Amino acid sequence: MDEKTLDDVISRYDSPSGRLLGILGEIQNREGYVPRDALEMLSAKLDVRLSQLYGLVTFYSFFSLKPVGDHVITVCMGTACHVRGAVEVLAALEQLLGIEDEATQDGKFSVTTEDNRFTLEIARCFGACSMAPVVEIDGNLYGYVTPETLPGILGNYGWRES
Amino acid sequence: MTHEEIGLSGTPKKSVTIVIDGRKCRADEGEIVLSAALREGAAIPHLCYEASLDPYGACRLCMVEVCHNGKTSMVTACTLHATEGLEIRTDTPEIVKYRNVLFELYLAEAPKSDVIKEMAARYGVTRTRFLKKIDTDDPLGGSCVLCGLCVRVCNEIMGAGAIGFVNRGPYTVVGTPFFEANTDCIGCGACANVCPTHAIRIEDRDGERVMHSWGGGRVRLAQCGVCGKYYAPGALTAATLARLLPPLRDDLAGLCPACRAKRIADEEIRVNMRGGADHHVRPRRS
Ligand code: SF4
Ligand code: FES
Ligand code: FES
Repeated sequence: MDEKTLDDVISRYDSPSGRLLGILGEIQNREGYVPRDALEMLSAKLDVRLSQLYGLVTFYSFFSLKPVGDHVITVCMGTACHVRGAVEVLAALEQLLGIEDEATQDGKFSVTTEDNRFTLEIARCFGACSMAPVVEIDGNLYGYVTPETLPGILGNYGWRES
Repeated sequence: MTHEEIGLSGTPKKSVTIVIDGRKCRADEGEIVLSAALREGAAIPHLCYEASLDPYGACRLCMVEVCHNGKTSMVTACTLHATEGLEIRTDTPEIVKYRNVLFELYLAEAPKSDVIKEMAARYGVTRTRFLKKIDTDDPLGGSCVLCGLCVRVCNEIMGAGAIGFVNRGPYTVVGTPFFEANTDCIGCGACANVCPTHAIRIEDRDGERVMHSWGGGRVRLAQCGVCGKYYAPGALTAATLARLLPPLRDDLAGLCPACRAKRIADEEIRVNMRGGADHHVRPRRS
């Protein structure tokens, strides 16, 4: 993110309350993640300690410090989905996308495929428990997901069996 | 802590009587009950109380029972202020039970901390039913209880803001941004000083202070112009000297505490022998 864009974003937030989160949220939405250099620039421009910004970004699961792939797949691991087989769904997705199960250092589960096409994340309850287990891809919700229906769903996003 | 509380306002403190486990004790009105109770020898465990910071009540270990108008409630003694006739109990069955669970939680949170182990053992807790947090490359050596004292002292007292809480929930840790060396760190070591579990590792070597727990950041130490000893982080001495008046500042710049004391004493002696006319060691002003 270049300096001008950042200045532009900052200029749109002048009320002191919620300012930092507003700016960080816009960076996240624009870039798909919060780049480190943007964080460092922001710290210097607003005279806010980097440790404070880093604390915010790692606290909220909304933010990501790593770039995400073209499509973001979020598996609900909430109670209802868990009971209805979210663990199997997650395992199937890992297998289909060829990614290893790994929890990142910050405890936010977010893994991106090597070709940068897909990012796999987990969340707690989308509020759609009646359709459990639920998977969200690029903002679209899919309910009653099973390992068998996954290839079909992924096909809509350009995934092909290799 | 307000100026009133530390008695800087000039008016003497009103003394009140408080009752600790049935024993009458004197305390200053408004005084933090934990501090009064510790002075009276009460055995209240505590991890996050630090007199130089505002009461915070993070560790919950100093929980006591307060009797007020015949009703009892549980509060943290470090956030409780002394009032006339206040009555507390430190070892009711309920408190003991509560405290023991906390010790178990701390034994799981900081399984490597000897401070925690010893403290818990003193209250009869030697094992935990909770899952121990084991992380072999934890820069805080499995000893951090997340009390937040280091973060607060770095922010609120030193104004450096080099460290903070990172992540959330069970993944919360204290660290620098990206767990790397942080140039905001002035190497003062206040964090290590307040840490109740001695979790923070700092080492002085070859004229540098190495912040092992904070991403291995290095801060140059100032060298004494007289004896050549490395004595304090350069950034810290510069900031301290900036608060002194010029004659004293110029006199003391570049001296370690020992040589500084010697210089002041020499000066005093010289001045006294001359009749005490022009000595220019002024009181420090901020
Ligand atoms: S490092 Fe020490 S002072 Fe800092 S939060 Fe952990 S226990 Fe508290
Ligand atoms: S638990 Fe998955 S949508 Fe509620
Ligand atoms: S010392 Fe009172 S809550 Fe920690």
